[in-house]
Amino acid sequence: MNHSKKFIRHVLAIAISIALPTVASADAAYDALKQQVEMMQKQLAEMQKALEKQQVKVKEVEANTISRAEAKELEHHVNAASEWKDPNTLIHMSGYADIGYTDAQDEDGSFVVGAFAPIFHFQYKDMFMLESELEFEVEDDGETKVALEYLTIDWFVNDYVALVGGKFLSPLGQFRQNLHPSWINKLASAPPGFGHDGAAPVSEAGLQARGGFPLGNMRANYAVYIGNGPELVTEWNGTDFELDGIDAEGKGADRDGKKAWGGRFGLIPFAGLEFGISAATGKATVTSIEVTAGTAPALANEQARDYDVFGIDAAWQYKSFALRSEYVKSKIGRATTGASASDGGQWKSWYTQASYLFPTTKFEGVTRYTDFDSPQDARDQKQWAFGLNYLFASNVIGKITYELNDGQKGAIADDNRWLVQMAYGF
Amino acid sequence: MKTINNSSKALLATMLTVLAMAFSTTTQADGHAKPGDFTRGANVWRDNCGRCHNIRDARELRDDQWYSTAFHMRMRGGLTGQETRDVIAFLTSSNKPARKPIITDAKAPTASSKASKLSGKAVYNQTCIACHGADGKGTLPGAPDFSSAKGPLSQTDDILVKHVTDGFQSPGSPMAMPAKGGNTALTDADIRAVVKYLRSFSK
Repeated sequence: MNHSKKFIRHVLAIAISIALPTVASADAAYDALKQQVEMMQKQLAEMQKALEKQQVKVKEVEANTISRAEAKELEHHVNAASEWKDPNTLIHMSGYADIGYTDAQDEDGSFVVGAFAPIFHFQYKDMFMLESELEFEVEDDGETKVALEYLTIDWFVNDYVALVGGKFLSPLGQFRQNLHPSWINKLASAPPGFGHDGAAPVSEAGLQARGGFPLGNMRANYAVYIGNGPELVTEWNGTDFELDGIDAEGKGADRDGKKAWGGRFGLIPFAGLEFGISAATGKATVTSIEVTAGTAPALANEQARDYDVFGIDAAWQYKSFALRSEYVKSKIGRATTGASASDGGQWKSWYTQASYLFPTTKFEGVTRYTDFDSPQDARDQKQWAFGLNYLFASNVIGKITYELNDGQKGAIADDNRWLVQMAYGF
Repeated sequence: MKTINNSSKALLATMLTVLAMAFSTTTQADGHAKPGDFTRGANVWRDNCGRCHNIRDARELRDDQWYSTAFHMRMRGGLTGQETRDVIAFLTSSNKPARKPIITDAKAPTASSKASKLSGKAVYNQTCIACHGADGKGTLPGAPDFSSAKGPLSQTDDILVKHVTDGFQSPGSPMAMPAKGGNTALTDADIRAVVKYLRSFSK
């Protein structure tokens, strides 16, 4: 027993002596390992910090860098923006056209091709502009009629004056120069007397100065012109001559050598209101005969007659309501010599028009009263016109107009009419 | 011998006066003498175009088309050269479509995200007043009435901001308001400020 105890003691002693150095060695390895881990943790933290800094930098770079696709799109926009940016010459076409249907009291209803009127603009810098309007119309027999409504070269001399040479719309009054295009005229017809053969001059060939200027707190505009003047048409009824009408569309030559002068002054006291006064004077001579019976004698030694025009106009607009009125009188003096010597005559007309665009709709109601008086009783006309328009857009307008006409019994001027029109301004 | 009557003398004198005026003034029209102004142009557009015809939407034409059109209307409407340049400035600014920026705010912060330097009233008086009026009731046919809380102002700020930003055509109006009222310089903050100001009309 004692031997066995001794043996165990010896074994334990040997085991302990063997184990003790091993334990000491493990502690050292642990410490080293710990140091390494701590160092790695530190390095990892530093790397994380560096990575975060790098990520911030990357975001900044991304924010200030565009992709190839974006660069391509930008390039496209830059190229597009530089195209036609500031040429010396601009070319532009605008104008208007209309089509419709007309049904008069004593005539069959007809589809009508109103007019196609392209307007061309060629502009050199801010100095010159060539303006021209053509008018294409399909006549009753299907023939197409082409007319040069106007052709001018405008010189913008300064901010207040432009000189206009060529064939221009008559600056007398408002309707002929500003309101006759079908997309602007709120009814499907012109007021009697303000069309192509009425009291108001249509156009003139000559030289014109026009512009606008401030007048205290108000504004003013003006136009003065000198031109070839109108020619006169006389009617042969089989026994004698009677003055038939004034052909007041700009002539390519002054066949009687008598010029006409005229102009208009407009005053705008405040926005939306304008008053205008117009006048013209000169001489006019009979150059053509309208034969209604028999054979007319030839014109010879015709006397130049006095020609005078006077007009006033006013326009007022308040939000959706617009009111305008215009009066014009053209007077021709008597001729005592020449083959067609006859009394003079005067053509006068006035109209008042009111229109209202119903709020939150595209419907517009219009009414107009016109009284046209001429030397020919058959042409005299008093007219009430009522219209309902639909504005598909500001420049695309559908119109239904009813004219209640009062003229000489049996004359066309006495026939009431329905007019449907689609007008497009471009 | 040819004679000149009194009326002819008067007209001749008038023409000579105009011609003298034409060549005596030094304000030349060539070469864009003085630049146009957006706000003045908006007033010219509002005060003159509707006197004869329905006011056209600025978005109908490109810059070069508006340029020639404005000179054509200088002749028709009796505008001065300066008024013509002003209305060109307004129309060529107002015909720009609302377009998503190629470089978005998320990538490159722009002025849009900064606070407005102008009050809502200042923005309104600079950009909106020509068409919407000093009282917010509108000066043009079809312009909405901001004096009623039941009108467009019944909508949320976000919707109103979108309408101003992108442009908007009110029901029944023959034309649309251009994007940012035509003033492309407006920031998002300016638009929020002006929308806030619009609400003061209905109080």
